Amino acid sequence: MEAIGERLATGKTSVIQDMFKEYEGVAGTSRCYAYINSVECFTSRLLFERTLNAWSGHVPCAENRFSNYARCDNLVDFVNNVRDLLGSKHGATYYLVVDQAERLRDRGPMLLTTLLRLSELTGVDISVVLISNVVWDKFRPRHGGAADPVSVYFPYYSKEQILQVLAKDCPLEEPAGFFLTFVDAVYEVFHRNCVDLNELRHLVAMLYPKFVQPVFEKQATRNEFGRLFKLCQPYFTAASERLYLREISTSEWQKHSTVASVKNNPEDVATCIYHMAENNDGMELPHYTKYLVIAAYLASYNPSRLDVQYFARGKDPSQKRKRKGGALVAAVDEDAGARDRQQLLGPKSFAIERMLAIFYSIIAEPVDSAVDVQTQIASLITLRLLTKTSAGERLDGIKCKCNVSLEVVRGIAKSVRFDVDRYLYNFK
Amino acid sequence: MPSPMSQPSDVSCARRAVLGRLYGRAPLPLLVGLDSPLNQVFSLLSRTVTSAEGNSALLIGPRGSGKSSVVQRALGMLEDPARHQSGAASVPKYHVVRLSGFVHITDRIALRDIARQLLVEQDLDNILIGSFADAFAYILNLLRSAGNGGEGAESVPPVLFILEEFDLLAQHPKQSLLYTLFDIAQSQQTPIAVLGVTARIDVMDLLEKRVKSRFSHRQIYVQSPQKLCDFVEIARSALFLTAVTDCVSASYAEQFNARVEGILAAEPIARRIAHIFDFDKDVRQLLRLFVLASSRLSPESKLLQMSLVEASVAQDVASAKLQVLSSVSLLELCLIISMKSLVQCGSSKYNFEMVYSEYKSFMSRHLLVVSAGGSMKVYKKPVALKAFETLVELEIVRPVLTSMAADGGGSYGRNDLLAGAAQAARAPKGYRMVQLMLEPGQVVELVADRVDVPAVIRRWAQQ
Repeated sequence: MEAIGERLATGKTSVIQDMFKEYEGVAGTSRCYAYINSVECFTSRLLFERTLNAWSGHVPCAENRFSNYARCDNLVDFVNNVRDLLGSKHGATYYLVVDQAERLRDRGPMLLTTLLRLSELTGVDISVVLISNVVWDKFRPRHGGAADPVSVYFPYYSKEQILQVLAKDCPLEEPAGFFLTFVDAVYEVFHRNCVDLNELRHLVAMLYPKFVQPVFEKQATRNEFGRLFKLCQPYFTAASERLYLREISTSEWQKHSTVASVKNNPEDVATCIYHMAENNDGMELPHYTKYLVIAAYLASYNPSRLDVQYFARGKDPSQKRKRKGGALVAAVDEDAGARDRQQLLGPKSFAIERMLAIFYSIIAEPVDSAVDVQTQIASLITLRLLTKTSAGERLDGIKCKCNVSLEVVRGIAKSVRFDVDRYLYNFK
Repeated sequence: MPSPMSQPSDVSCARRAVLGRLYGRAPLPLLVGLDSPLNQVFSLLSRTVTSAEGNSALLIGPRGSGKSSVVQRALGMLEDPARHQSGAASVPKYHVVRLSGFVHITDRIALRDIARQLLVEQDLDNILIGSFADAFAYILNLLRSAGNGGEGAESVPPVLFILEEFDLLAQHPKQSLLYTLFDIAQSQQTPIAVLGVTARIDVMDLLEKRVKSRFSHRQIYVQSPQKLCDFVEIARSALFLTAVTDCVSASYAEQFNARVEGILAAEPIARRIAHIFDFDKDVRQLLRLFVLASSRLSPESKLLQMSLVEASVAQDVASAKLQVLSSVSLLELCLIISMKSLVQCGSSKYNFEMVYSEYKSFMSRHLLVVSAGGSMKVYKKPVALKAFETLVELEIVRPVLTSMAADGGGSYGRNDLLAGAAQAARAPKGYRMVQLMLEPGQVVELVADRVDVPAVIRRWAQQ
C-alpha cells in the first residue's frame, strides 16, 4: 500500500496510469487494476461498484441494461463481493488506485481504514494506492486502525523540467528554439507568484499567438527578440494578470485580442483589454439602491458610537470634518489599532434601522415617496449584496451584513458622486 | 547446483517472501514474546472445539502489538492437528466466523454476514425477520439440522467467533449482537467461543450491564515488546530468509541474512529503530522501514541495499509538510511568513485581509532595499488571494471553525474556504478566520532551506 502526496500538477496520476499500462502490456493482466477518481465516485457505493466492475472486467452496456457487476451498498457487501470475485485466484495481485484520496475522509469514518485493510479482510492480495496532494497526516483516520502507508513524494519540477514540459506544447509549425525563448520569458515573469504547471501552460497558450503576430504581420523578424517583446509588452502588463485570475475568459480573449492587435497601437490594446474585463462587472443598480449599498457598507464598517459625529444633521460640516481629522483619529493608537481594524476584520452585522438612518442622512435630496426602500433592501438581500444574519423567520429586528468589497463600493460611490472615504473610520 | 535459472528465482522468491511478511500478508515465522497469550487463546479455542465448552474472552493490546497474529497463529494450530495427527474423526468439525467492527457497522449487517459465513447456500432473506435473538437461534437451528444430515449427532458443531475491533461492535445501539453471543456462550447449549480483539484498554466500560453479566471477564493482554532486543528480533524474523520455507538456496539465504544483520547493526538505522521503540513500539512502523529496500531486490542487486534503508529512515524523520512546501512560489512563501509574524504578534487566528495587510506593510517598508537587490513587486490582492488559496488547498492553512465545530469534530471535515454554508453566509472569503498549520520554527527552517529567497525576506523570516 502506498500513499503519494505532493503538489498539484506534478504528474502523479500520469505516472501511475502509465505504469499500469506498461505493466498490463508485459503481464497481460488487464483486469487487475481499478482506477477510481474520488471526485467522480462521490459516494461509497459508486466507488465499490466501479472497483468491482474494473476487477471483473464487467462493462455496463445495453445488453446488461447498464447494470453493475453487483450491487454494493455497504462495506460488508463490498468485502464479500471482492472475496467471491478474487478469492479463488491465488497468487495474483490486484490494485486499487484512488485519486484525490483526501476526499475519502468525508465518506464515513471507516471507509479509508477498510480500504487500507482490504487485503487483510478479504484474504486477497490487494494493493491500494492513494494519490493526493495533501500529506497523509491530514487524512489519517482518527481511529488509528490502519497502518501508515508507504509514502512516495513526487518532487516539484525544477525550472529546466518545467521548460521541457512546456516545450512539448510548441505548435507544430513553429521553431522550437524560438518558442522556448518565449516560454523562458513567461516563466521568469510568473514564477515568483505561480509555479503551477497548468497555470503556466494556460498563460503560454494565451500569450504566444500575440507574441508571434508581428512576425506574420511583417513588423519584425524572428531574430528580433527585443523588438518582439516590446511589441508584446502591453499584453504582458495589462492582460497577464487578468488572464491569470481568469477575469478574461479564453474565448473572450481569443475573440477580442485579434481585433485589438491588428492595429498594434498600445493604447488601443490597453483600452480593449480594459473593456474586456469591464464587461464582466455589470453592476447596474438604481440610484437609491446605490445609496443603500453605500449606507450598508458604512454601517458594517464604522463603529456605531461615531454615527452622531459622522451623520448628525444640523451641525456645521466644517466642524464635523475637523473633529474627524483631529481628535477622533488621533485617539486611535496607530500601531495597536492597525491589526484589528474593522477593515481587516470584515463586516459587522447591523440593525436595518441604523442603515436606514445613515441612508437618509447621506442622501442629498429628499427621497421620492414612490420609492419603496424596503423592497430595495429585499432585492439587495436576494442579490447577496447584503446577507441577513438574523434568524430567517424573524420579521422585526432584522440584522444584515454588507457583502461588498471596498473597491466595488468606491465604484458605486463614484457613480453617484459621493465621497465615501470621508465617512470611513480608521481605513487605510 | 547453481544453474543460471535458479539464481533469479532465488531473488524473486526472497522478494515475495520478505515483502509478504513486511506488508502483513504472510505471518512472521516466530512470535516474539507472545507465547503466554498465544497459549491462552489456543487452549480457550481448543477447549471449545474438543470438549464443547462455551467460552468468551477479550484480547487486549495496543495497535501493532500482534493481537491478530496471535489469533491467526492459534487458529492455524487448531487446524493443524486436525489435519495431520489424529485424523478427522477425533477432532469434530467446527466453524470460524470473523466479524470486524470496521465493516460490520450495524447488528443487522453483522447478522447477515454471520448467516452467510455459516450457511452459504441458504436463502438469507427469510432468516432475517424478527428479533435478533430469534434470527440467531434460527441460524443455529439450521446449522444443527445441516450437521444432522451428515453424522446424525444431536449437537451443533462448535462455532468460533472472532470479533475484531470489538470496541466498535460494542458501540452499536442495544448491543444485541454481543448480548446474544455472550448469552449463548454462557448457556452451554451450543458450544461457541467468542473472542473479542480490541486496542481499547477501557473496553469493559463500554458494555451494558446485562452484556457484562454474561461475559466471562476473561481478559488476555498482549503487550508490545518490553526490550529493544525483542523489538529488533521482530525485524530480524521478518527479514531473515530460511532455505526451506522461502524456497531459496542455502548459500543465498546465508548471504542475505548476513547483510540483514549488517543493516540492523548500522548506526543510523539502529538509532531509528530505538527511536520508534521509545515512542510507540509500533511493529508496522518498524517493518515499513524495509519496504523500499526489499521491493528493489532484483537479479542485479540480490541483497538489501543499505542506502535504500537509510533513505527511508531519512524520509521518516523529515517533516512531510516541509517536503511539500519546499517548492512553493515566492509569493506563497511571503504569505506564510506574514502569517508567522502575525502569530508572533499574538494573534491566534487571522484572515486573508490581515495577512495581506501585513505583507503589504512589510513590502512598503522594504521596497527601497528590495528594488536595489532585485526585481520584486508587490502583488495585487486578487493575485495574493489566489496564492493563498493554493496554501488552503495544500491544507497548510486551514479555516478556524467557530462555535458548533469547536469540539474537534470540525477538524476532521472538509477543508476549503468555501465549505460550510453557514460559514460562507457569515463572511466573504477574505474575512474568514484561518490558522497556519506550521510552527514559527518550521517556517524559519523552510526559508533557510531555499536558495532562491532574497536576503530581505530571509531576514524577515528570522525576526
